Amino acid sequence: MDIKTNTLESVETRIQKAIDKAHASQDKLNAVVSFIDPCEQIENLKAIDKSAPLYGVPMALKDNINTKGILTTASSRILDNYVPVYDATIVKKLQQAGAISIAKASMDELGMGGTNKNAYRGEVHNAWDTSRISGGSSGGSAVLVASGVVPFAIGTDTGDSVRKPAAFNGVIGMKPTYGRISRYGIIPYASSLDHVGYFTTAIEDAALLLEVLAGRDDQDMTSSYRKVETYASNINADITGKKIAIIDNVQEGVEDSEIKANFQALMDKLVARGAIVEHIRFQDNLMQALFPTYYILANAEATANHSNLDGIRFGMREDGESVEDVMIHSRTKGFSSYVRKRFVAGSYSLFVENQEKVFRKAQKVRRLIVEEVQKKLDNYDVIIASASGNIAPLSENSADEALSNESMVTENHMIIGNFGGFPSITIPTGFVEGMPIAINMSANAFDEQVLFNIGKAIEEETKLKGNDSEVKA
Amino acid sequence: MNYETVIGIEIHCELKTKTKMFSSAPTSFGEVANTCVNEIDLGHPGTLPCVNKEAVRLALLAATALKCEIDPLIKFDRKNYYYSDLPKGFQITQQFHPIGSGGNISIDTPNGKKNIRINRMHMEEDTAKQFHSDAGTLIDFNRAGTPLVEIVSEPDIRSGAEAMAYVEKLRALLYYLGVSDVKMEEGSMRCDVNVSLREVGTQKLGTKTEVKNLNSISNVQKAIDAEVARQSALLDQGERVIQATRRYDETQKTTVLMRKKEGDVDYKFFPEPNIPPILLSDAWIKEIQDGMEELPDERKERYQSQFALNDYDADVLVANRELSNFFDEVCLHTKNYKKAANWTIVEVIAALNKANIKIADNPCNPVYLAVMINMVDNGEISGKQAKEVFEEIMLGKDPQKVVEEKGMKQMSDSSELLTLVTSVLDNNPQSIEDFKNGKDRAVGFLVGQVMKA
Repeated sequence: MDIKTNTLESVETRIQKAIDKAHASQDKLNAVVSFIDPCEQIENLKAIDKSAPLYGVPMALKDNINTKGILTTASSRILDNYVPVYDATIVKKLQQAGAISIAKASMDELGMGGTNKNAYRGEVHNAWDTSRISGGSSGGSAVLVASGVVPFAIGTDTGDSVRKPAAFNGVIGMKPTYGRISRYGIIPYASSLDHVGYFTTAIEDAALLLEVLAGRDDQDMTSSYRKVETYASNINADITGKKIAIIDNVQEGVEDSEIKANFQALMDKLVARGAIVEHIRFQDNLMQALFPTYYILANAEATANHSNLDGIRFGMREDGESVEDVMIHSRTKGFSSYVRKRFVAGSYSLFVENQEKVFRKAQKVRRLIVEEVQKKLDNYDVIIASASGNIAPLSENSADEALSNESMVTENHMIIGNFGGFPSITIPTGFVEGMPIAINMSANAFDEQVLFNIGKAIEEETKLKGNDSEVKA
Repeated sequence: MNYETVIGIEIHCELKTKTKMFSSAPTSFGEVANTCVNEIDLGHPGTLPCVNKEAVRLALLAATALKCEIDPLIKFDRKNYYYSDLPKGFQITQQFHPIGSGGNISIDTPNGKKNIRINRMHMEEDTAKQFHSDAGTLIDFNRAGTPLVEIVSEPDIRSGAEAMAYVEKLRALLYYLGVSDVKMEEGSMRCDVNVSLREVGTQKLGTKTEVKNLNSISNVQKAIDAEVARQSALLDQGERVIQATRRYDETQKTTVLMRKKEGDVDYKFFPEPNIPPILLSDAWIKEIQDGMEELPDERKERYQSQFALNDYDADVLVANRELSNFFDEVCLHTKNYKKAANWTIVEVIAALNKANIKIADNPCNPVYLAVMINMVDNGEISGKQAKEVFEEIMLGKDPQKVVEEKGMKQMSDSSELLTLVTSVLDNNPQSIEDFKNGKDRAVGFLVGQVMKA
């Protein structure tokens, strides 16, 4: 399915179909936190030109994207009654482009997690096999696109929270350059790593969406003044001479022979199309440091970012004798123990006695990693690797709390995109045991176009455009 | 025993901006509670700060006036602590890179001028206001996010009187620059003093206490004097001073314990990720500094060198920016600066006081006052008449019209005057006779006749 199909249907019919589908799949997938009544939005469409890029297109928003007057919980108990008083900048942009939001999609609590099992309203299931995880933290959004409910959905990506669930569910997951899309009105996880991203099933859609979402927003000082390009009409699948670097450190950790073979076959096809495919290797110690560095920085920022959730002005309030007690009780009850654990870790790294050797050191390591990656990107158009060494794990075997040194690099390499703010895209490339597998590519800052161009070539090779689980069924 | 008092002062000053430090909500004083707020001030999820350029401009002015070194790379940090008056759970401040550092300010003491070093000056945002009662706590978020500068002195101050002089000097400076309202009673300028004692001749600093909530300049001195008395009594008795935060109790005229300090609070400062470092261009900094209003010290210097005013007159004028501006206007239209100063300091002030009008609302046109002063100097009107004319000027009237209407123009052409006198004398031979016969009153009659003519 892609955005521009179904244009012969009336908007009402198209939206109703999407809503019906969402309801029908809810028991099975649990991807939705709240369903949105689209009447007002459809009414508002009258003021919008029919040629608007997303006119009448149904969409889902991750539940950390503020929607005025519509429950926005970020899958956290402490926000389970939170109704924002304002719209996120991207919500306004999407509305102006004619899109109709039909659902707020489930996520890991406050974006913390990679399984979507850590959600106050319950686990989200993989669109292709409900016994498997959707991945997270934007699991709900990924699954709603992968199950054909909506042609696109918005997510956010702090570590790989768009690109990993995209891989597990066989859809495209795009995370543009840091500052390309405004973060105003997005409930944060870690501000220096947070990106708005999105899911589609076609490269053209991914390019078109960026045209709608990107651009300077005076309410987000980190947003870029750089001109938004006409990515969609610029797409060019001729990749002759494009320099593509395979990240060996990542591929070495891929043990599944089918995934390996799929990856190699794709590389061969790109070479056949005229691309120059070479191997690179990042310093191993820096790659090993990716996850611990991420864990320290993300949680340090998160512990401050979420200090506003205290039950005083909004959200769940647990009463107490004094204002201080209200804050303590609300926070104790309002967060899962998993999130509280991360707050403790974040706080720990910021204490005066630890800050230099933990937080500041992590900042330095982040810088070293970014410099290392940039050095390679100076010589290549994109770096490429498997998005994961595995298909989506079985739910019973996965927990965010379990950390292992095994596949530390292969399963966490996409953090690179967040550290450096590099644009990064996950694209499905095939199936193993009936489950989707994918590659991930990253490029130099603001070179989203090259991702779309090479992505288009890949899409033509894999013929997985419009891939969703309904096709299989 | 003989003690030396060591005082350092931290001053928080609200900047006079239309909107808040990091949001577009209006700043306010005395507005209905929680009406000057938006989602950013309330710390709603997903909000992001946006730096107020005008606040940076004002901070830059203040830092320049304090002779600080300016850091053109503006950076902000988070100061993390939980308190119900702090909506985000952290305050955005400049911990690691203050906009100004290493300045100084000169104060007047009985022993002459003294330099007080400024450690740093940084920008930050204000907290909400809380009202505690038995029924519970009420919070007004209008103040939350108001731009502040914090000015931290080195411990160079040695007495309550010096402290008062320092605060007064800073207050005048910031007021002059239009940086702040500097109203201590309304909280737009707040002062915390750190006081410690040490034996005269020793170098090691004694244990300090911090006295907060000083809502007037005179209370700064009173509170310090009271705290010094308390600490020296303790030390004399061989007891020790306990590090604590205290407040000044006006009725008891003493400082009262608020809370003990159990080691420093760890605010877990770290750089604010949502505000990228902002590099101020040299051109912008220069434009602001060049456009900076004359500071009180410079003005006093000018009054003394250019206008030859005495110390007292210069001080009185400079102490009030509006009055001083008025005086400067007057001096653009008269060369008699001494008289201009006298009229401004004595008569204008008295008239305003009498009519209960603020100096800022002074109805007197400075050009008219200058014209009147010139009329006296040219002999067009007498000093006595001038007082009458002045009353009309204070009502906004043109002195030339007043003189015309009242027909009080003094004749200054002596030949014309001579003709007039001769004719009066010619018409009153009897009076001349009377005068010659010793009747002095006759002169009065003749003068009267001349004046009538």
